Amino acid sequence: MTTFKSRRKGGVYVVLPPYAAGLIANLARQLVELLSDGEVVQPAGADPLEALLDFDLPRDEPDDPALLRLLPPAHRTDDELAAEFRRFTERDLRDGKVRDALVVIGKLEAVEDGVPDDLEFELNAEQARAWMRCLTDLRLTLAARLGVRADDESFWESLPDDDERRGVYEIYGWLGYLLESLLDAVRR
Amino acid sequence: MAHVTATPDAATAQRPDVDEVVQPELPWITIVWDDPVNLMSYVTFVFTDYFHYSKAKAQKLMMQVHTEGKAVVSSGTREEMERDVQAMHSYGLWATLEKTDA
Repeated sequence: MTTFKSRRKGGVYVVLPPYAAGLIANLARQLVELLSDGEVVQPAGADPLEALLDFDLPRDEPDDPALLRLLPPAHRTDDELAAEFRRFTERDLRDGKVRDALVVIGKLEAVEDGVPDDLEFELNAEQARAWMRCLTDLRLTLAARLGVRADDESFWESLPDDDERRGVYEIYGWLGYLLESLLDAVRR
Repeated sequence: MAHVTATPDAATAQRPDVDEVVQPELPWITIVWDDPVNLMSYVTFVFTDYFHYSKAKAQKLMMQVHTEGKAVVSSGTREEMERDVQAMHSYGLWATLEKTDA
């Protein structure tokens, strides 16, 4: 069984079966790809003058609904304010989410070597938060892809077994279970 | 957000003066919006972890997001609210900033 156990100073001890670790790593890698979107990942705190002169800075909302949910508008009606906010923050936000995903991938790298046993490792308090944020980003991405709405569990559960959306919804639910379990361990 | 068994209105009605929702005293506010994905426990955690709100206050704000569709979670200068909105987005919560009439 997948477990997150409390450790001192807000740390968490993690035990993951190889298939679970492989699935999370695979999803996290896809998330990095989605967020990188062909862009080179910039380190945080780039030169502000350089940023002002960079006409490639994002102003428009992403077309992809998953990306739009990960990088949402900062105002509901004032498009100008939202565009300005996006221009100056979106790259940092993308980079932060990529860094979180890389923390997750980094802990799961042993899976690449075909280790057959459960993966066991510790997360410090900051790494545990990166995991939480990344699990959330993965859930948001899958939910956007599926079109999850409020109180629609019965719809997804009634899908036939051969409907591929059903499997995706189950992964979505499982990521929610993982996040809940991680939260329990951190709060303890 | 996910289902709840408690009835929030009854719970909060009994304690009207405790942990009052953030009152905007400064011209800009940060609003967090409800979404069907984020777990209630996670939203509460984010409010305690980032804003350092008490568990009770964080829970009350989370319930307000859940039942009313949104809640004002902080107020301050525009720069401060931009920081808060970006932080909420980094946690995967949808937040917006707004100028108040104050």
